[in-house]
Amino acid sequence: MSSAHAIRAIQDNIALVIKGKTHVIERVVVCLLARGHLLLEDVPGVGKTTLAHSLARSLDCSFKRIQFTSDLLPSDIVGISMFNRQKQGFEFIPGPIFANVVLADEINRTTPKTQSSLLEAMSEAQISVDNQTHPLEQPFMVIATQNPAEYHGTFPLPESQLDRFLMRLCIGYPALEEERKVLDRPHSLHPAEMLEAVLSAHEVLALQAQVDQVHMEESLTDYLLAIVQATRQSELLSLGVSTRGALGLSKAARALAVVRGRDYCLPDDIKELAPIVLSHRVMLNRTHGMRTQSFEQAERMVLDIVETVPVPV
Amino acid sequence: MPFDRAFALSSVLLAATAFSGLVLAQSVPLWLALPTASILIISLFHAGGLLFLRRAIAQITVSTTLWNILLIGAFVILLIDLTVVSRDLLSAGIHFLVVLLSIKLLTLQQRRDYRHLYAISLMAILASAALTTEAWYVPVFLLYLLTAVWTLLLYHLTQAKSEVPAVIAPSSTAVCHTIFPSRVTHGFFWLTNGIAILAITLTLVIFFLIPRIGAGVLQKTTGQAVRTTGFSDRVDLGTIGSVKQDPQVVMRVELPDQSAVGKDHFYLRGLAYDQYNGQSWSHSGTSRRSLNLVADGTFLARPFGHRPSDGLPETIRQDILLETLDTAVLFAAPFAELVSGEFSALQADAMGGLHLLSPPSSRIRYSVTSHIPQIAAGERTASILAYPDSIRAHYLQVPPGTQQVADLAHRVIQQGATPFDQTLAIQQHLLENYRYSLESATVTLDHPLEEFLFTRKTGYCEHYATAMVVMLRTVGIPARLVTGFLATEWNEYGGYFTVRQRDAHAWVEVYFPHSGWITMDPTPTNNAGFATSRWEPLSRLAESVWLQWDRLFVHYSAKDQLAVVHGVREGSDVVRERTGRWVSSFTVPIRQALGRLLHKVRMFHPGMWGLVMGVIVVGLSSLLLILRDRIGFWATTYFLSTSHPQIAIAQLYTRMLRIVEQQGVNKPPTATASEFARLVEREWKSAGPLVAEVTALYHQGRFSRTPLTPSDLSRAMEQLGRLQSLTHPAR
Repeated sequence: MSSAHAIRAIQDNIALVIKGKTHVIERVVVCLLARGHLLLEDVPGVGKTTLAHSLARSLDCSFKRIQFTSDLLPSDIVGISMFNRQKQGFEFIPGPIFANVVLADEINRTTPKTQSSLLEAMSEAQISVDNQTHPLEQPFMVIATQNPAEYHGTFPLPESQLDRFLMRLCIGYPALEEERKVLDRPHSLHPAEMLEAVLSAHEVLALQAQVDQVHMEESLTDYLLAIVQATRQSELLSLGVSTRGALGLSKAARALAVVRGRDYCLPDDIKELAPIVLSHRVMLNRTHGMRTQSFEQAERMVLDIVETVPVPV
Repeated sequence: MPFDRAFALSSVLLAATAFSGLVLAQSVPLWLALPTASILIISLFHAGGLLFLRRAIAQITVSTTLWNILLIGAFVILLIDLTVVSRDLLSAGIHFLVVLLSIKLLTLQQRRDYRHLYAISLMAILASAALTTEAWYVPVFLLYLLTAVWTLLLYHLTQAKSEVPAVIAPSSTAVCHTIFPSRVTHGFFWLTNGIAILAITLTLVIFFLIPRIGAGVLQKTTGQAVRTTGFSDRVDLGTIGSVKQDPQVVMRVELPDQSAVGKDHFYLRGLAYDQYNGQSWSHSGTSRRSLNLVADGTFLARPFGHRPSDGLPETIRQDILLETLDTAVLFAAPFAELVSGEFSALQADAMGGLHLLSPPSSRIRYSVTSHIPQIAAGERTASILAYPDSIRAHYLQVPPGTQQVADLAHRVIQQGATPFDQTLAIQQHLLENYRYSLESATVTLDHPLEEFLFTRKTGYCEHYATAMVVMLRTVGIPARLVTGFLATEWNEYGGYFTVRQRDAHAWVEVYFPHSGWITMDPTPTNNAGFATSRWEPLSRLAESVWLQWDRLFVHYSAKDQLAVVHGVREGSDVVRERTGRWVSSFTVPIRQALGRLLHKVRMFHPGMWGLVMGVIVVGLSSLLLILRDRIGFWATTYFLSTSHPQIAIAQLYTRMLRIVEQQGVNKPPTATASEFARLVEREWKSAGPLVAEVTALYHQGRFSRTPLTPSDLSRAMEQLGRLQSLTHPAR
């Protein structure tokens, strides 16, 4: 299967379940190809979990779901070492993190301690328990969801952890027509369960390798850096984008190029992805008295800043 | 060299050129010129990037307030200068300008300062233009133009660079570095010089087509006239000697028919004198007649009925450029027949001297056709000549008490059988027996002639000539003294004589009834004179260039233009006639007709070519203006660097942006190419697909790894061509 075909197939497959959200689906695939992790932030019931589920089902990969609650412990995620009587030694029982696609549902409902146990897994794709390092299987992708509307009993993700997500997406309510299609569906089965895998883990790895080969012209790198610089110098933001953020934007832009069937980046790739890749990494100067900044607000700021940076001709 | 540095360097060079213009116009005193020059040199080194200087100057940070105070101080000094010291607005203004220039050079920091520097330089070069008509201005001005073109180009290039918003770090000059090289490359160097040369050529053409004021507008007129000696009503013996060392140029004489004359000496007659009182010469008759105009600006100078009948009249034409003198006398080879020049009236005295009504206030140019007097063969051998009474009455006068001279004369002419032989004998006697010397200060003597002939035996032209005239008169041969110039300095490069003050001369005219006045010169050639240096040919070359400059540029007048227009009219008549004949006779071989046409073309007035060229240039320029866009398009497509398809497609895309911009759809700098394509799609439907296609090609060619193929490029060009022919309906 050619790469264009494969990408088309996975998008179409997810679209069977998530109606009318081709844009979001494309970005999810971009995140997958860029070896990134995804933070889905939206009100309950718009299909965050279903989206993650559909993606996992579309890939011929292992999928684990962790429901984050306030009493969840780190060992519930990474696994635990238990004493094995037969072997007379400790044996590592891998936790649910050992999967290709991990859905961290309602990630802000658990304690920071548990949240941070995800950190190493997300950035280094490995787990260290009892001085033993266990590499995670590739491809590895964490899809976390959180609910921005509720604040009671939540632990907002620390900046360091937010920075490890490649992009933060919001799904949004479907259009009326699309919503009707959802309602008209037969209810016997969860729609995601009906999906068949269209892409093997091997193919995903090949696509990810292809992303690394995408050509980013020198002036585009300059453009990207100019955007990053602009967020650091902007008066609207108290914290600009980190180097990891710049790296992430570069990777995401390359992945978007692959998704759109190109082997080179365009300024559009960078400009289009900048809000969703950068907005969760910046801190606004004024949050209007709210404990956390709202998604839309940050995204709008980043968009405004991107609009001040001239595009190379 | 990076643009920034090249820009700073060319700016300072511009100022330096303008300043040197002022200095060469001799309008900057030394006390001001020296510090300014040193500041210029320091600035040059600074701009040129001498690091230690850069550092040193970076440490000198003087507050702007101090500079402002300095400026005000300079202005106050200007006022003082104006009211007390030089009392001349021009020179005070120039001093102020130079001070401003120095201050600006020291405070070059922002672009605004550079703009001020340009304004000051422009004023300086204009002031030096107004102050001078000298030829050195040409190279200075050309240099100024060249540096100006460089500076303007670099100014705009560096401007484009600095306009990138401040949010971008200096390192990311993504916007411009791909299309414009940020350094002065070979191509840029030659392109800039090419533009400069083109500008200069156009300037020259326009220069020839537009009449101008013949002299510097603000040229100082006081104290410019050359003091001459010997061209007034009276000549004291010994006066010419005082100018014999003065190398100041009095006039330049061009001889259009050069072959007719020897290049070693050339007499330029000024005035003749008939009365000698023992110490000085004077005119007996002071009446002058006004000369008749025979053509526009041409006067007939020949006395009526004074044309010798026998022999071929040998004439010689001279074009004379006369410096500003303190005399109204015009000089010409003996004897002037036709005089043409831009004067309203001309007078001649009884002895053939030409006078203007008043001394000219500026350098004048005139042409004279002279008839060279030659002694008739019959008079060489005639033993007795019958002199008319009027001649006898005027030209045989001798001062009283010249018996000693008469005796000498009679002794000398013993061998001579005819008056002509006697004349030659006297001339020979003087040539052989007396020594030429400028040291004989005889002005104070009571009897300078006797002193010369019998005591000192040394003297110069006046003594020789006076002696010969008096001796001739004592033996009954009418003669008179003539003053003028003896040109000996032939400029082989320009084909003219340079006549200097030291060439002032006096000689003799002897009367023969049929031949008229014959020029004789008893003064031996003064070889002791002026050692010719090794550089002499070089200075002669420079001088001939100067003369050409003066004739072609400074004195190119409305009249010359009229001549050009006449030339065109005649030329066009000729062409019409030719073509008519050519059309009517198709049987005539084309080659023959062409040959004739070519011949006719060759016969055109040379000035006409100037006009024709001018018309062509003006026409072409307007055509260029009208077709600017087209040509821009052609140029973009023609000069596409096929070796760099990436740059080529970027150029094409920029070109497309400009086309679309002209139709009112602007691309915001922060919009990407595809966003812009969508914008065009919305705003200007018909152009949408074209723009989209070019954008796609641009994306591929500009950002991908594989370069565009030539066929892709030509497809983009094709779309551009179609886009060019579209018009936005909203406009």
